[in-house]
Amino acid sequence: MARARVEQHPATGMTLVVMVGLSIAFLLFIAFLNVVKNGDILSEANLLYAALVFYAGAGALYLGFGVTGTESYIKFASLATWAGLIANTAAVAHRWYEAGHPPFASLYEMLLSFVWTLAALTLIAEKRYAVKVIGTVTMPVAIVGVVLMQLLRSDVRPLVPALQSTWLHVHVTLAMLAYAACALSFALAMMFLIQDKLNTESFLATTSIFTVGIYASVLTRFEGWGGFNVIAWDAENKSEVFLAKNVRLFVTIPDLGWLMMLVFAAVIAPLTLYILARVRKNEGFLLIANRAVFISILLQSLALVFFVIRVREGRYSSLDAEGLYPTNLAASPFILSALVAAIFANLLYLLLLWRREDLERLLPDADTLDRITYKTICIAFPLLTLMIAAGAYWANKAWGSYWNWDPKETWAAITWLVYAGYLHMRITRGWRGRRAAYFAILGFGVVMFTFFGVTYLLNGLHSYA
Amino acid sequence: MALPLHFAIRNTWKTLSSIKTGVVLIILVVIFSIAGTVILQRPLTDPDEIARAYSPSMLRFLDVTGLTDVYHTRWFVGLMLLVSLSIIAASVQRFPNAWRYFARPYKSPDDGFRRVLPIQAHLAIVDEEQGLGAAERAFHHMHLKSERIVRPDRFSLFAERNRISEMAVYIVHASLLLFFLGYFVVDAFYGWRGFLMLSPGMASNRVEMKSGEIRSLPFSIRCDGTGEETYTDGTPKRWWSKLAVVDNGQEISRKEIVVNDPLVYHDVRFYQASFGRTGKLDHLVLNAVPKSGAGQTQEISLAQNQIVSLDVDTKVQVAEFIPDFVVQDGHVYARSNDVVNPAVHLIVTSEKTDKVVNFWLPEIPGIAENASSPYNFEPKDLKTGVFTGLEVSHEPGQWAVWAGVILMAIGLTFVFYVVHVRFWVVPVQDASGNLALWIGGSANRNRDAFEQTFKRFVEQVEKELKPKFEEAAEKPVASLPKTTTAGR
Repeated sequence: MARARVEQHPATGMTLVVMVGLSIAFLLFIAFLNVVKNGDILSEANLLYAALVFYAGAGALYLGFGVTGTESYIKFASLATWAGLIANTAAVAHRWYEAGHPPFASLYEMLLSFVWTLAALTLIAEKRYAVKVIGTVTMPVAIVGVVLMQLLRSDVRPLVPALQSTWLHVHVTLAMLAYAACALSFALAMMFLIQDKLNTESFLATTSIFTVGIYASVLTRFEGWGGFNVIAWDAENKSEVFLAKNVRLFVTIPDLGWLMMLVFAAVIAPLTLYILARVRKNEGFLLIANRAVFISILLQSLALVFFVIRVREGRYSSLDAEGLYPTNLAASPFILSALVAAIFANLLYLLLLWRREDLERLLPDADTLDRITYKTICIAFPLLTLMIAAGAYWANKAWGSYWNWDPKETWAAITWLVYAGYLHMRITRGWRGRRAAYFAILGFGVVMFTFFGVTYLLNGLHSYA
Repeated sequence: MALPLHFAIRNTWKTLSSIKTGVVLIILVVIFSIAGTVILQRPLTDPDEIARAYSPSMLRFLDVTGLTDVYHTRWFVGLMLLVSLSIIAASVQRFPNAWRYFARPYKSPDDGFRRVLPIQAHLAIVDEEQGLGAAERAFHHMHLKSERIVRPDRFSLFAERNRISEMAVYIVHASLLLFFLGYFVVDAFYGWRGFLMLSPGMASNRVEMKSGEIRSLPFSIRCDGTGEETYTDGTPKRWWSKLAVVDNGQEISRKEIVVNDPLVYHDVRFYQASFGRTGKLDHLVLNAVPKSGAGQTQEISLAQNQIVSLDVDTKVQVAEFIPDFVVQDGHVYARSNDVVNPAVHLIVTSEKTDKVVNFWLPEIPGIAENASSPYNFEPKDLKTGVFTGLEVSHEPGQWAVWAGVILMAIGLTFVFYVVHVRFWVVPVQDASGNLALWIGGSANRNRDAFEQTFKRFVEQVEKELKPKFEEAAEKPVASLPKTTTAGR
């Protein structure tokens, strides 16, 4: 059905390249006009804007490649990525110079470094390992990263006393590298599963579980009468509103909770249908499930749009304090990224559903992917170890003890244990292929929880990141 | 009697050393660690907050099982002990094999080994000496030292690199044991953490533990000053304290500590943890303006309980300092100890008339008698007392931990990046009686990279063979690496 429809369109040569090129030129021209008006060419905002434009172009071309399989797009896509990376590097350098420390001290700065790492890794994977299709996955993430940065506070903030240490940079650099390597191993493991002929339904199940998980966590902010709680934002001080130390003020956006509930129902549908298909052994349900994914993407996008609109505008009442308070996307970066990530995961599933054969043709073979996954983890694991050790050494200087069982520490140790488990199973038990790939995916799940979940859900000493 | 005991020990040993046990233990550690991050933990969280979060019966259950302080309960420590035992048992179980590998390397491959070795090649040679010579030169070319092995029935060449890599896993495991030793044994029994609060000029050796008990140090710490610097937006930039160590009445050393840079004396560390205001008055600067018009305005400085004469007849003193005042039913109360809304109660006495006037700054209606005071007071400056909060810790186990970190870094480097490679070269005769050079290689990890190295080596041997024997090399007999395998 859907697959057949898409395949009827033959790859349409250079049209996309020309279109994307023209858009880039147009956007840069607009930006140039702005610069002429304001005078300042090499400001960080301009550099980031340029990076965004190029990444968006690259993303469009990579996606075009992913969907149509036209090889020539790749060349232009990597050119655009290069250009974006150069602008991004300049932005990082500018930031570093301006702040006087490497850009790792706030969520904004970490995103800046993260996007840079991602773009660099994309080019490395493409050139060194010939994993061409990787840009289809990484570029959209980079674009979301840059867009998120525009929403977050970007002014150079002074460092609080505990962060004034060289160990901040050592620790965070190692963490970033380790997490990037884990992310790469995750992507490679996923590709391995595609090449290992894991059936498409299993990907449907995983995607659905992931999406349901995201909406279940988002709905922890559900408030009776359909309200949805977000943290209030103080526009003047560019910070969250605090009731007391570490107690943030939540405001309730009316009716948004109902919409989230509705989307929750929509994302549960594919999972239910998948389970029905398995239980009843009826393939028909799977066809409906795939349509349900499509519908759920539409609804999710709707939820995202409404979320953005309602959070950006208006003042809302709070259950904990009198009066009306504004909020801002900057106060809810995690919800925003979760919503975007869910849509993205579902889109990737659709890509797999419709273009599986092309993907299989373009990806390296299963054996190679399995080996590279293992190698990436061999890089990630020592980095994780060093990151924890550097953190412990720093904690010993700043908090008075090398190990405090702070949730972030504990979860970092858990991550380490999971990857240690992977290595033991692989080396002494000879786990290869699928089981190893599942393990690598689990490992990255734990990494994500350590990075986002702990900050979002659990309180602790690590309150700055 | 002896037999069952023997069996029990053997079985326990076998269970402990199996990788399954290891995995189960790791999973248990993970589960309980997660529980500790989800359930509010005792020493870190405020008791009231815990009481609010759980119902009384739930809280009793959590307290009894130790789930409110997971990481310090006996059973968690016991679990870590089991993990250590399992690591030891697993290592001891596997060590002899690895040691044999390490101490008595396999240098002279027999037929069976040659048949099954995955990475091997054959090259045609004319005579044994020529073949082995070429291989030796090829080894030399690759910076490998080869040795000739002579056995009664065969002779061959052997070369290897990084044999130590076989031991790397044990280095990593030993480093883990060092962590456990440092944290769960040394620091659990001999370590302690506490808190010391000092105001400038004060000295103390009494450290308050988390449990509330007081530990007396054999020396004391004197605070010579403390302060806070803030950024323009009010966020703290730097906290500092000038500390001195006083041992036996003698000043031993001085240091200005800041966050991230503690003072260490006799393995006891003093960290800058917090800075605050005591809410008590240090001194107050006032302008005293005589109401009669006679006499001049004078600036006076008042500390608590200090009496200052304004003229021959009049004296003033601070009776009360309230950092954060509130008036209720004609009384003044302190709302908090934060200096946010201060009030000062001055007593102005006149000796001649014995008149006592209660002067309040700011003037509080109904209580203050400011109108009848001979002087008016204008506040100029207010300094309140400060204190520095010092985190004090003694963690001798950290040296084991740092040693473990270094050992682990070395171990992991060897595990992942140092490959034990071995080459064997044996002259053999095939079924039809032709002489050939059998070349075999093995690497304990990163097999695909080694295959490239092996290929290069074989090509090098071929090159070394050529000049003297060109015809034979024309028809390549080489059956290059037969197999490719998933990398280890």
